[in-house]
Amino acid sequence: MDAPIDTLNYMIAGYAVIFGGLLLYVASLFVRTARLRREEAMLEEDQE
Amino acid sequence: MKRNYPRGLIILNLVTIGLLLVATLMVFLYAPVEAVMGMVQKVFYFHVASTWTGMLGFLVAAVSGILYLRSKDSKWDVVGLAGVEIGMFFTLIGIITGSIWARPIWNTWWTWDPRLTTTTIMELIYAAYLMLRQGIEEPEKRARFGAVYAIVGFITVPMTFLSIRFFRTIHPVIIGGSDPSSTGAFDMTPAMLQTFIFSLLTYTFVFATLLWHRVRLGKLAEKVEQLKLALND
Repeated sequence: MDAPIDTLNYMIAGYAVIFGGLLLYVASLFVRTARLRREEAMLEEDQE
Repeated sequence: MKRNYPRGLIILNLVTIGLLLVATLMVFLYAPVEAVMGMVQKVFYFHVASTWTGMLGFLVAAVSGILYLRSKDSKWDVVGLAGVEIGMFFTLIGIITGSIWARPIWNTWWTWDPRLTTTTIMELIYAAYLMLRQGIEEPEKRARFGAVYAIVGFITVPMTFLSIRFFRTIHPVIIGGSDPSSTGAFDMTPAMLQTFIFSLLTYTFVFATLLWHRVRLGKLAEKVEQLKLALND
């Protein structure tokens, strides 16, 4: 039987997108939360 | 300032990270290398799981839309927006990983096959949902329009899911048997099937975890918006 074709690079690229994308999305959640908390604190200060 | 972080969310975070680790190990160490496609076939496990999660996000948005229209409770608007955002993110990951898989198997990055076309339409329909929301300042009106749009937009999800079953396509069908003209279809061994099902389960947990976090973010954004409105009055 023939050996499978060499597609290792494509697999690496695929999983780089999967895990890189997931990390970026989680990071975006953290960044947006931190920004909103700062804004919330400032607005609450303004209200007082 | 100390923030209230729900115990359930901490547990869900840990369970999800654990499941993701096990699923990754199963993909690379347990599932065998496919005889024809080689290593790139391993992308399939998380590619399908990503598109599954994307559709789950759109389903949550549609159900939240119905619940919002019935109750007028803004929490359903927050959940709906979270569902769309996560759905779009995972659909995009599915499209990109599918394209990477297609390059060595179909010898092209992209083709206007029924599945790829309907997936693109679905993604664009939900991108328009975000643009629609951006254009409406009044929160109640934005939530109402968003709810109706999420319900109507959901039609693209079964359309995408069924496209490879109704039309002649080169995209493989994993459940239900492929069209004879499909390229890249393969028979799953028991280890492949177990890895596939475990990946779907894992991504369902990933979805639930991200949804919870995104809903918390949405509630915070809502609070900030209300504070701004109160200051302007």
